[in-house]
Amino acid sequence: MGKSDAGAQVGMSANYEYTLEESILKVEDASLTLGENLILDKVSFEIRNITRPDSIAGQVVGLLGPSGIGKTQLFHLLAGLKQPTSGRVLIGDPGVPVKRGMVGVVAQHYPLFMHRSVLNNLLVAGARSGKPEAEYKQKAHNLLEQFRLLDRANHFPSQLSGGQRQRVAIAQQIMCSESFLLMDEPFSGLDLMALRKVQELIHGISTAHEFNTIIVVTHDITAALEVADTILLLGRNSDEQGRFIPGARIQAIYNLIERGLAWRKGISSTPAFVDCLAEIRDRFALL
Amino acid sequence: MTTATSWLDIVRPNQAVSRSTMQIVIGVQVAVALLLWWLSPWAALPKPNEVFPAVAKLWLEQGLGPELVTSFWMNVQALAITAFISLGLAYLSVMPAVRPIVAAVAKGRFLGLSGLTFIFTLMVGGGRPLKLALLVFGMTVFFVTSMAAVVAAIPKSSFDHARSLRMSEWEVVWDVVVLGTLDQAIEVFRQNAAIGWMMLTMVEGISRSEGGVGAMLLNQNKHFHLAEVFGIQILILLVGLVQDYGIGVFKNAVCPWANLTLERR
Repeated sequence: MGKSDAGAQVGMSANYEYTLEESILKVEDASLTLGENLILDKVSFEIRNITRPDSIAGQVVGLLGPSGIGKTQLFHLLAGLKQPTSGRVLIGDPGVPVKRGMVGVVAQHYPLFMHRSVLNNLLVAGARSGKPEAEYKQKAHNLLEQFRLLDRANHFPSQLSGGQRQRVAIAQQIMCSESFLLMDEPFSGLDLMALRKVQELIHGISTAHEFNTIIVVTHDITAALEVADTILLLGRNSDEQGRFIPGARIQAIYNLIERGLAWRKGISSTPAFVDCLAEIRDRFALL
Repeated sequence: MTTATSWLDIVRPNQAVSRSTMQIVIGVQVAVALLLWWLSPWAALPKPNEVFPAVAKLWLEQGLGPELVTSFWMNVQALAITAFISLGLAYLSVMPAVRPIVAAVAKGRFLGLSGLTFIFTLMVGGGRPLKLALLVFGMTVFFVTSMAAVVAAIPKSSFDHARSLRMSEWEVVWDVVVLGTLDQAIEVFRQNAAIGWMMLTMVEGISRSEGGVGAMLLNQNKHFHLAEVFGIQILILLVGLVQDYGIGVFKNAVCPWANLTLERR
């Protein structure tokens, strides 16, 4: 997976048996200009469905980049909340231009409807999923159970802990957008225990269904590497004098499956992980 | 925590005290206020033993009760019209075409009601319609100012969140702008209900047809019946406090989420 039209693809020998299937998401030369500032410059990458024999293989893609580089703007393009100045973002196969609501969006501070209870937050999203009422009500119940939120169903968001609120925000998006989830800085400000729980949650969602795909936008290299199977590195090029050229683009794509760093528990203590982390950090420092 | 410490909390910043402690604090302050009133050295200030008999006399002999009811319903009617116009304008300020109108209405708060009386008389005639029109104008300019600011302060992330759930722009307006700010709308309504009483006495003075508590107040003032004036003011204050409390109870019932994160509930 992770074919790129621009930027290098970093890969090693295969460690797992897997097949790349149809395209799930394709970004073609997407540029974004705000005012006179070029924020994104011909960003291109593709995420394809992965199948593995005898197991469900959703995907987690880490989109890494320094602060202020344009990650959130790319996040908005992928979510359909903004249109690229040029280029396009396509969903599915055959690709259709992304519109808002096609992709689940979990923003950084987990926005929810503060005037609705947890259950109502899920139901209002379910009502827009196009499914029959009985079906989305059952789904809401199942998600509350899966995310250990049943006892909080009638609470308001302001009565929840940070972790609970995050789970409600994710569940709400899953109610509406079936298999595609964008998460903006989900590891920000978490202690180690909370970080592990979020990583487990992301892994759990990604492996719940074949087509589940989560794009995690973050600047936390280690956390992203631990949970992702592909890393996209967003950054700017430099000119000969070392000055940054405006407009971020995908600088590298790291295929962690081929490196044997995906789908394994306790991966962070392996030499391959440490080497990969160092490699990405070195590259990251230049962006 | 010791009792001494908990009592010191009432003069420490940002402390939460129990409901019973707060009731005692209010009781003591009311008692002190009454005592200061009773012992006040100003001869012109009527004492409680003059005010309460004067109120009783007005109530029993001069129809203060019906006048109060007249004024109350006038205020309620004006509030209803004001809320309809103001909330409509504030919510519709999501449309760029409406924003200049909202801004213009909000600027109307710099205009004095006395200067507008003649124009309103020509437009709606005198009597009750005039009083209603003046009240509605006086409250609308403030209501619109407050509510338009509430709507303008909704962060973009709230709109984007709703959009990400496949809501149409009008559905976004309903959930984020209307329902999402309902608690603040009721609070603005509460403030304007109080402003209504303040304007009511003035408006009823401008047009004295139908009477009302404002007209009665001005009559007593004209004859320098200070005990009666003071008594009417206290009665208006009491009605206002009950009204304020009622709106507060309504807000807590309709918007139970509103106070959950406050330090002082």
